[in-house]
Amino acid sequence: MERVVLHKSNLKPWVDRIHRGFHVFVPSRVRGEIFFLPQAGPLESDLLSGIATLPYLPPKDIVFPQSETLFSFTRDAGDIAFSVPERASRKRLILGIRSCDTVGLHWLDHFYLTNFLDFYYHDRRDNLTLVSIACNQPMKNCFCICCEGGPFLDPEKAAFDIQLVDLDEHYLVECNSEKGKRLVDLDRNLFSLPDPAMVEARDQLEEKSRTLFLQEPTSYMSAAIRRITSNSVPPEVWTELGERCFDDGGCTFVCPCCSCFGVGYSSKGETGCHYRFWDSCDYSGFTREVSGHNPRAEKGERFKRRFFHKLSYQYIKRDGRIGCVGCGRCITACPGEVGMPAVVERLRRG
Amino acid sequence: MDNIYLPKKARIKGIQDETYDTKTFDFEFAETAVRDGFRFLPGQFLEISVLGVGEAPFGLASNPNHPESFRVTIRAVGSVTQALHELKEGDLVGIRGPFGNGFPFDEMKGKNILFVAGGIGLPPLRSLIEPMLDRRSEFKDIQILYGARSPADLVYMGRLKEWENTPEIRFSMSVDVGDPAWTGNVGVVTTLFPKADIITQNAVAFVCGPPIMIRFVILELLGRGFAPENIISTLERYMKCGVGKCGHCAVGHKYICLDGPVFSYKEMMKLSEKVV
Repeated sequence: MERVVLHKSNLKPWVDRIHRGFHVFVPSRVRGEIFFLPQAGPLESDLLSGIATLPYLPPKDIVFPQSETLFSFTRDAGDIAFSVPERASRKRLILGIRSCDTVGLHWLDHFYLTNFLDFYYHDRRDNLTLVSIACNQPMKNCFCICCEGGPFLDPEKAAFDIQLVDLDEHYLVECNSEKGKRLVDLDRNLFSLPDPAMVEARDQLEEKSRTLFLQEPTSYMSAAIRRITSNSVPPEVWTELGERCFDDGGCTFVCPCCSCFGVGYSSKGETGCHYRFWDSCDYSGFTREVSGHNPRAEKGERFKRRFFHKLSYQYIKRDGRIGCVGCGRCITACPGEVGMPAVVERLRRG
Repeated sequence: MDNIYLPKKARIKGIQDETYDTKTFDFEFAETAVRDGFRFLPGQFLEISVLGVGEAPFGLASNPNHPESFRVTIRAVGSVTQALHELKEGDLVGIRGPFGNGFPFDEMKGKNILFVAGGIGLPPLRSLIEPMLDRRSEFKDIQILYGARSPADLVYMGRLKEWENTPEIRFSMSVDVGDPAWTGNVGVVTTLFPKADIITQNAVAFVCGPPIMIRFVILELLGRGFAPENIISTLERYMKCGVGKCGHCAVGHKYICLDGPVFSYKEMMKLSEKVV
């Protein structure tokens, strides 16, 4: 992996240079809340530092929009013509994506690009470049350390292009792909070679970061995985957890790994379209059949479904890893206080 | 790169009324290249779109040896099926597929085959029965037990008469509630079992029908000594994409659209959710 050094004063010139070839998304504050948005003003340096901050939503909508047209149709003189949306060809780049969200995209890549390749996801992902920033200091809800979701990225386990490591005055720039190397090639004059002390400092930061997670919110993943895999969680535990669920679907919409969608149909006169939209297995309508029969009519059954998908070994085998990256967003989103760590802790107790 | 969400145009070639709420549609793809390239396995399904209304999955009901024109039997129960029933010969629909794993075929050669169908569960089984009859000598006994709520609910009446009269298969049927003209067996399909001289050795049973019927038929088959791996059925769930992406049809760690719809009872028992 090629490593170079970028003095922070050179970040703006580099990003300006990147703008010529990419539509650049950066973490941005809107009325105090952070979102990944197309860069519209100066970079907010505290959102690009080693001290973790996390946008309210993961950047999954950049590759998997909340709603998108699958195809359109027009009826004319007894015939039908189909058309698909123009293929995404715009080069996009996310600067300042955190490790957990990068691993989340890796999960989505595996899901959407294998076993029937998703045409729309593929085009957006193919045109997307990821410049992540490692977390030297996690936040209180972070538990990526329990999910192989961070705080630093493992090149073997996530498809990132560049990882930046915050070394106070500099970023250590770690290129993990050809795409990443090309970003550095845009202007090699902005970069210098790292001295050994910098590489050592980087490794120490990673070591230290791993000790800074709070004991309290970290998850007892392995016990939960074992219990879910062997289907040995008593039904009453799922019922109890389900009772705390508000059926709002919030956890699924803020989850970097949740990928389910519904399909809607619209038409007006002789034209119309089929479109998809984010859906949630929290909703009772998710499995309700036309007869009215619902195999997951009970909240507890739906709750079990969601965690079985995220944590069972059966799905780990299928999806390549657990369906949680430890970002902690479900903790923030859940009004019933049954985010991932609380559930995992409850499952551990049996 | 194929777009898995984009349907192909298909034309309705023929429509037959089966019952008061069920029709059989014959389709062919509008484009020659699509028509010529189309192949399917018994037990696979299609996603059919009535444009402007919606899309839904349907099991293929015709003989896979004749893929140029294929058949689906549809009961009008929701918006898409109602809209399909209002279409006429020559009308166009959108079709994606075939999807799903399908029934085992070659592995069944040399075995005694039992089909147990309930109501509109017969159509998907017919996609397996017909190709077996094409190669009748390669299978041993073939027996079909068919049950429906009433005589008016029986589908494929013409074909049922042929099955009753051919020496190639042993066929019997039953209705839950008879009518004055009905002279056959009355009772749920499992009431046929004691009278049907069922072969259990070297035998495989294919079961398709409403969930409650499947449950009782499986119990009956287990009681008669069928091993769970020799009881093969289909699962149904609310389904959208048909290609394992939308998540709706997931059961346990399986997607019915990808890993099913055909499962042995042994596989069903391994799912983390109760399915039968």
